[in-house]
Amino acid sequence: MNVISLRFTIATILAVIGITAFIIGLQYDFGSSQRMGPGYFPLVLSGALTVLAVWEAFSVLFNPSSDEQPSLDWRPFAAILTAVLGFAFAISFFGLIPAFIVVIGLSSLSEHKYGLKPALILAFFVSLGAWLLFAKLLGITLSLFKFGF
Amino acid sequence: MFENILLGFSTAFTATNLLYCFLGVFLGTFIGVLPGLGSLAAISMLLPLTFYLEPTTALIMLGGIYYGGEYGGSIASILLNLPGTPSAAVTCLDGNPMAKQGRAGVALFITAIASFVGGSVGIIALMAFGPAIAKVGLSFGPSDYFALMLLGLVATVTVGGQVRKGLIMVILGLLLGTVGTDVTSGDFRYTFGFLELRDGVSLVGMAMGLFGIAEVINSIKGSNERKVTEKITARSMMPTKEDMKKIIAPMARGSSIGGFLGALPGAGTVIAAFLAYAMEVRVAKDKTRFGNGAIEGVAAPESANNAAAQTAFIPTLTIGIPGSATMSIMLGALMIHGITPGPLLITDHPTIFWGLIASFWIGNVFLLVLNIPLIGMWVRVLQFPYKYIYPVVIALICIGVFSMRTSVFDVCLVVIFGALGYLLQRAGYQAAPLILGFVLGPMLEENLRRAMLMARGDVFRLIADPLTGSILALSAMMLIWAFACGLKSLLNKRKIKILPEGEA
Repeated sequence: MNVISLRFTIATILAVIGITAFIIGLQYDFGSSQRMGPGYFPLVLSGALTVLAVWEAFSVLFNPSSDEQPSLDWRPFAAILTAVLGFAFAISFFGLIPAFIVVIGLSSLSEHKYGLKPALILAFFVSLGAWLLFAKLLGITLSLFKFGF
Repeated sequence: MFENILLGFSTAFTATNLLYCFLGVFLGTFIGVLPGLGSLAAISMLLPLTFYLEPTTALIMLGGIYYGGEYGGSIASILLNLPGTPSAAVTCLDGNPMAKQGRAGVALFITAIASFVGGSVGIIALMAFGPAIAKVGLSFGPSDYFALMLLGLVATVTVGGQVRKGLIMVILGLLLGTVGTDVTSGDFRYTFGFLELRDGVSLVGMAMGLFGIAEVINSIKGSNERKVTEKITARSMMPTKEDMKKIIAPMARGSSIGGFLGALPGAGTVIAAFLAYAMEVRVAKDKTRFGNGAIEGVAAPESANNAAAQTAFIPTLTIGIPGSATMSIMLGALMIHGITPGPLLITDHPTIFWGLIASFWIGNVFLLVLNIPLIGMWVRVLQFPYKYIYPVVIALICIGVFSMRTSVFDVCLVVIFGALGYLLQRAGYQAAPLILGFVLGPMLEENLRRAMLMARGDVFRLIADPLTGSILALSAMMLIWAFACGLKSLLNKRKIKILPEGEA
């Protein structure tokens, strides 16, 4: 993905956020400038956000001067985000220790040559540390293992 | 005055508080040393830990984490030429050449000394001016508060260099700040039916996503090629007498510049470090030494950014308006502990205010005595393969966010903000103005509503007030000036092309 299209995409996303917030904001009571309702501030903000984001998008289109060439590292991006998501899923269904194993395992996918052995060793030590810290030291009542809800 | 300082030290000098201050400095340095993670990431990662503590202890620990993170960031930037915070980027200019000349130890020692001196000057300024400013703050009306917050936000935008992008981030932050229950009417806004969103977007989840996750993703690529070869022993850290003589004047200049700038809302540590460096270049007889390992080029910006870091607490604690992203997280932490910073903080909670100030100083002392013997250990942390570190950091972020409210929803927020933070950063946006806007948003709105009610909806009555009007005019002028010429050209001249993520 080249730079200009990345910048343009981001500006478009921001504009979409602005427009969506504006449309939702229309449902709230606008009030008057003396007695501002809950809708006043969000409408002004989302309006301003939309205008600026559209301006940004146009300036990217007509002015594609890019001295730096940032690119996205898709692999770590996907792996780390999946790892956090996996943690959220695992901790709500299987408990703390499986959640730690999931998060370590998935984040180790962010490098091409990570290797299974380092990941396993790391997962073991982190789980051990978590068990010591949470169950033995702090006595926090998070279930280490469970199944279902 | 004197009895207040005494009260402060008696608060800070309990065994528990000292322990947590030490712990904070230690953990903060540890996280700050990790490449790509700065003090902001350190604070947001360790914030959940402090929820189990007393408010005073919690703040003392957070203060320690902050200094530790800043210093750890300097270690990483000097040794790897990889600044964790924008203010450390200035230290890199001469710190890294020094390391390449085999004087890394001296550079690190100078950093520690300069931080200590700058920090101490800043603390004295905080003690001297804090209460006086709080008294002035008592007479502020809602419109003055609104104008001051706006000034802070505008200042952050103009400092960042890219004005339009900065504005977009601030407004997005303000908009995110409106999520939740509206204070005045009690209506829910942008909650999309989620119960969890009724209290607003979780500050910790957001900060962890924007600064923790995004930074980790950023730092993974190429981490295997990074190597620290310098061996640093306590002996190699000792500067020569000539070095010591050389840095006295730069430290004095740096501390005064930093102390003054830090107190202004939005100016913050970056500009302080930057101006202090520029000042040294101007004063120096032989300008070619800068960029090639000039010791003044390390001492001045380091003392400036630490002095600024201290005086940044003045607006945060006495008026309740944070000047930077880090301060806004500190402010958020205070509010989570049920303390509203503002003019009344000093009179209502004197133990917190003075205890905090005393512990700032203790924290600085800890930093000095901790880091000289431990420097070998920090270097070893840097040498440890990064592939074993980042999965653990991610796991800690997850459990930290989850354990705050035992909420899976918050962990999902981290995913969203992590993705957003990484993409925005890659597209050239900075996350710091977003956080600042997010924290200030609800206060800004409330004060604006009150002010407009008092002005009967007439904007001109707001502007007619001398104080409000002049602050608003100043903000407008700053914004116009920034749009017209921008700091960008200035930054390019100084060879700093991209400011890294973090505190602005």
